Order: sequence, then C-alpha cells, then structure tokens
Amino acid sequence: MNAPANMTVRARGLSKRFPNKVALDHADFDIPTGRIVGLIGPNGAGKTTALKAILGLTQFDGQLDVLGFDPRTQRDQLMEQVCFIADVAILPRWIRVREVIDFVAGVHPRFDRAKCERFIANTQLKPAMRVREMSKGMIVQLHLALVMAIDARLLVLDEPTLGLDILYRKQFYQRLLEDYFDENKTILVTTHQVEEIEHILTDVMFIRDGKIVLNSEMENLADRYTEVMLSADRLDAARALNPVDERALPFGKVVMLFDGVERGHLESFGETRTPGLADLFVATMKGTYA
Amino acid sequence: MTVQWNDNTPIYRQLREKVIAMILDGVLKEGDALPSVRQVAGDFQLNPITVSKAYQELANENLIDKRRGVGMYVAEGAREQLLASERERFLREEWPLLMQRIQRLGLDPKRLLQGFTANGEQA
Repeated sequence: MNAPANMTVRARGLSKRFPNKVALDHADFDIPTGRIVGLIGPNGAGKTTALKAILGLTQFDGQLDVLGFDPRTQRDQLMEQVCFIADVAILPRWIRVREVIDFVAGVHPRFDRAKCERFIANTQLKPAMRVREMSKGMIVQLHLALVMAIDARLLVLDEPTLGLDILYRKQFYQRLLEDYFDENKTILVTTHQVEEIEHILTDVMFIRDGKIVLNSEMENLADRYTEVMLSADRLDAARALNPVDERALPFGKVVMLFDGVERGHLESFGETRTPGLADLFVATMKGTYA
Repeated sequence: MTVQWNDNTPIYRQLREKVIAMILDGVLKEGDALPSVRQVAGDFQLNPITVSKAYQELANENLIDKRRGVGMYVAEGAREQLLASERERFLREEWPLLMQRIQRLGLDPKRLLQGFTANGEQA
C-alpha cells in the first residue's frame, strides 16, 4: 500500500493482539503532512502501541505506511526520517551532555551538531553535565535539543511533558513551535494534558479500546459539537434530539452534548457553547474504567 | 504570556480582533512590524495554521501588508480604515438602540452633549 505524497502516515486495519488484550482493533487513520496531531485516549487504550507500530518497534497486523516506508521491513530508512521522545527516560545516568551529542552525531546522518549546541546554550544544561545531575525537566530539554537538531519529517512524542512543572511544559511547546515545526514536518503527540495542547493541535484522534472513535480537524469540532444548558422542563424535548452525553449540574440544570445538530436549533432550548476538547474526551470515554 | 480564549469564537477570529484592537488603540502603529507566525504560535501556544489564518484575514482586509521574505507590517491607512468601519458599525448597530433609549428616558440631547466636543476633547 502506498500512501499519497502528502500523507505522512496511513493505517488501514491496524491491529495488535496481546495474549490477554486487544491493543489495536482494526484502526484506520491518515495523518497528513504539516499537521500537529494529538492521539488522545485513556490509559491502556492503545496509544503507545500505535506509536510503536508507526516507529517499527512492534509487530502488527494490517497495513501501515509511514513516509512511504513499511515500518516492518524498512525500519532503517524510516529511522532517518523519524524522531521520537519516549515517556520513559532512556539516557544512561552516567553520560554527559557532550557525550550524548557526540553519540547522536555519530549515528544519525541528519543530525546538525551546531544547531543542537545552539539549543543547549539556551538552557541551563552545560556540556560537562551528567544525566544523573539533571532534573526531569532538564532531561527533557536535552532530549528536545537532540531531536530538534535532527532534520526529520515525523516527530513522535509520547507523553513528552509528563511529570514536568508548568514552566517546563510551556517552554517545551514554545520551542517546538518556534524553532522546529514547519509545513513540511509532522508532529504526532500523545498526552493526558488535553487542555494544554488543544490549541496547538491541528487535528485530534481519540482512541478507545484500540479503536479510533473520533478523528477530526480541530477547526471542524466547533461546527460539529454543541453543548446546551437546559432547565428541567426542556429535558424530554432535548433528549428527542439524541444527545451524545448528558450530565447534571447543581441547581437542577442539565448540560447535554450534541453531535451534528444545528446550533441555531439548539439555541431555542437554552444557552449554548462550544465544548472544549476535555469535555469531548470525558463524554466519549464515559464508562471506560467501569 | 498566558491568554484566555473563549470557547464560542474560533481562535483565529479572536487573534484577529486582538490585532485590530492594538491598531485602534495605537499600540501597533502603521508601518510597525508584526511578530512572525512562529513567534505568535510559540508565545500564545497556538498552532501556526491558526495564526496564519488570522494574519491572512487581516491581509485580505488590507490592514496588514505581507512583504515577501521580510514579514508583515501594519498597513498605511489601517487605523483610518478601521476607525471608519467602526464608526459605520456604531451608527448602524449601536446608535439606533442608544437613541431609542435616550428618547424613552426623556433625556435632553443638549444636556447629554455638555462637556463634549467633536474630537473627544473636554470643552
């Protein structure tokens, strides 16, 4: 299967079974080039398995094309074009900043040492510093400086800001947006911190039980979804329009979420608003841990 | 900088409004350079497509000039143009309501205009 040139990832029937669990269940999705895509789902929904499949780090069933390569058989070519920050620290604790830079310069043909050193100079990191002397935030800064200096076409981030304080988190995305991302690059990011990245994303995918349950451009969400605040006497009439979710508020008010119902029509029932990504996430994932 | 965006208007429209307010208030003057798309995206934590879209709308309305390879600038005449359209909008949308209310309250127009001159200075 060859994806069109403007597609960075194309998955068809992507599946992965573990002995006791289905991690990916016939997932179909496309990731166009030049987008910042959020892959969002509860713990155990299959996010990391999907990323691993894309990176060629795990076997899978179905079809997957990443930058024109098959991750199962063309992993070496693929690795030249892809970068990855994992949620687990993988740098050895004894290694120094300058040694990591030497290492990546030695193994990666598309690494720009001068660029990396420029990024490092803007942080508190010093060339002689060892990983074990660094805070979690500084380790992420080091990772980021390394991957941003690689001229890759796809950057995969798995919970990149997990455990960081808000200053480091903000700085992380600021550096990516100012110094890295452009229309020829594509970023795929998983995170639980939905609110933090919702305006950074151009597209969003929700994954639940190994299935892609929502896949949309961020721009289109506002056209599709509307929340309405209802008083008790309008509930039955509103329910007839098939809300996708309903939750009670204090003082007898109820909020209903509608998918694809015209906003003008809903306004006659009560105050409307566009739900945030976090609201949609909660509504879509209801009952996941039940 | 942390900015609060409201949920009910697309962000690119809110960003456009922000730039317009800055031009009207004289924070951004004609000929001033606008920050690059990347810089706005980074500072406000927005995707660059959103920022480009706001700038594109401002360019379509001739409020900013795109100079290829250099950047974006507040266009000559942008403030006048905005003031003209804001005045037009006030007269069309706000004034009729205001006038109705003045009449309903029986206020004397002369009294309302005391201490008021055409260009906004105190008399």
